Amino acid sequence: MIEIKDLTKYYGTNRAVNNISFTINDNEILGFLGPNGAGKSTTLNMIAGYLPMSAGSVSIYGTDVAKEPVKAKKNIGYLPEIPPVYPDMKVKEYLSFCAGLKKVPASKRKDEIKRVSELLKITDVSGKLIRNLSKGYKQRVGFAQALLGDPKFLILDEPTVGLDPNQVMEVRNIIRDLKKDHSVIFSSHILSEVSAVCDRVVIINKGDIRAIDTIENLEATFSSSLILHIKVKGQKARSANIIETINGVKEITSIDDEGSDIYAFTVLLNGDADTIREKLMEELIKNNVRILEIYTDKPDLEKVFVELINKPVKKNGLSDLLDEITPAEESAQPESTDKKEEM
Amino acid sequence: MLPIYKKELQSFFFTPFAYTITALFLLLFTFTISTDIATLTDNVARFSFTEIFYNTIIYFIFLLPILTMRTFADERKFGTEVLLMTSPVSVLKIVIAKFLANMTVFLFMIAGSVIYPIITEIKGEVVYSQLICAYIGFFFWGAMFIAVGMLISSFTENSIIAAIIGELIMFMFLFLDDFSQSGFISQYPKLRSVLYSFAAQPRFIYFSQGFIRLSDIVFFITATIVLLAWTYISIEKRRWKRG
Repeated sequence: MIEIKDLTKYYGTNRAVNNISFTINDNEILGFLGPNGAGKSTTLNMIAGYLPMSAGSVSIYGTDVAKEPVKAKKNIGYLPEIPPVYPDMKVKEYLSFCAGLKKVPASKRKDEIKRVSELLKITDVSGKLIRNLSKGYKQRVGFAQALLGDPKFLILDEPTVGLDPNQVMEVRNIIRDLKKDHSVIFSSHILSEVSAVCDRVVIINKGDIRAIDTIENLEATFSSSLILHIKVKGQKARSANIIETINGVKEITSIDDEGSDIYAFTVLLNGDADTIREKLMEELIKNNVRILEIYTDKPDLEKVFVELINKPVKKNGLSDLLDEITPAEESAQPESTDKKEEM
Repeated sequence: MLPIYKKELQSFFFTPFAYTITALFLLLFTFTISTDIATLTDNVARFSFTEIFYNTIIYFIFLLPILTMRTFADERKFGTEVLLMTSPVSVLKIVIAKFLANMTVFLFMIAGSVIYPIITEIKGEVVYSQLICAYIGFFFWGAMFIAVGMLISSFTENSIIAAIIGELIMFMFLFLDDFSQSGFISQYPKLRSVLYSFAAQPRFIYFSQGFIRLSDIVFFITATIVLLAWTYISIEKRRWKRG
């Protein structure tokens, strides 16, 4: 088991990773998900023992990576974001060097290189200079390097970047196969990829963990509820109040000002969408709200991801959402608010 | 440690690098020798290898930083530093392996120069005591400046800058003894003796005159160890500061 505890990294005064903790179980593929610049690579570099942490600890099968780096690193195979290959080396020379570096016994080196070359389908380029390889091949050579010596724990930083769709599928299958006797942490900014391969995901943004859960749970949390999109003309505050009072409405997640007095509400529903929708329409019409558009939507994973990343601070309620588009808006008269917004 | 040493040697000897730099050194060495031979007169039919070595030092100021410039700069440039740092090898061993590889190429370079004493031996006489001392001095002197070059290389990811700064520093070392004896510094005898004790040049002269002094050997070995330790610290420090 790999335990990451209170990991923090400062670059100068800038905090790149903020107090994150999670574990990677044996025979588990953990997805490490976040947008670019979220602190993914920094975290992985710390776990791999390349960057020292500002605070916290990483324990790899009971060995602290900062205290006993050489011992801990024996169990790690690391594919960094940029494959660490020497352009002036041939593929087989490079793999032989890496095998030595990872202390694969000389007698087993040849078989080991053959094994990983076949696994990643780079046997046909083994005599080529790495400099002349395409990006996809370089990536696979880097991946092969991480597998040499069969380390129990694999850290893969965006392993499928630069591969064509066919190769992406192959690499995913390899990662899935690795699960049998490895623990894998696998970073990506593409959710569909993570959901295709991983058991659990850690979602991180701006150095903070936003969620740790299984894909199924994340999906279940969000897909049990339906999303209702309503567009109205004018009477923003009144419509918001009406929508909120309807039985079955969980919350209004956003109100967008689309210009020319049109407001788009995104509403989370709890329960049967059809009855709620009907009731909602009825109420709104009764109050003379002009409805332009109404439809329901099921949140997909990609939306869950965006939601988790972009909505770090939960809105306290309706008033916050209203404030977001018109600060200090009290008036129920839409005309006057429009003027304020235009200014 | 051995795989890194082997890899470094491969990068020198499987490419034209080691051969080019050795050829360049031998060319310069031969120039010095041929000028010496050309200026021989009939009644003084002797020239000194040790003097030639002493004169050759100035060429090494250009060649050694070129040898060492890529040591760490290129690892950083290609992102392969991560590979070394995350493999179960300590940073100290990486530094030592790279130092040994550079030393091997350095020995390869000076080994080529042995041909001239051999030719001289066939046609005349060689004073072996001086020659051997000169080679020993050359070896220690080279070790120290390879360590300087590696230290500079660990500061940057641009190998050209590493080479230029290395050359500058070696120039400064070369003129340290002249500088310490200048009129200005002579006003302060203590400063003068401190500066002078750091000058590598006068120590090399002793070697080239056929003297092996323990203090000189200790100086070169200590300087090499200190510089390698500094290289190690510089690499570790960079990891801490990296951002």
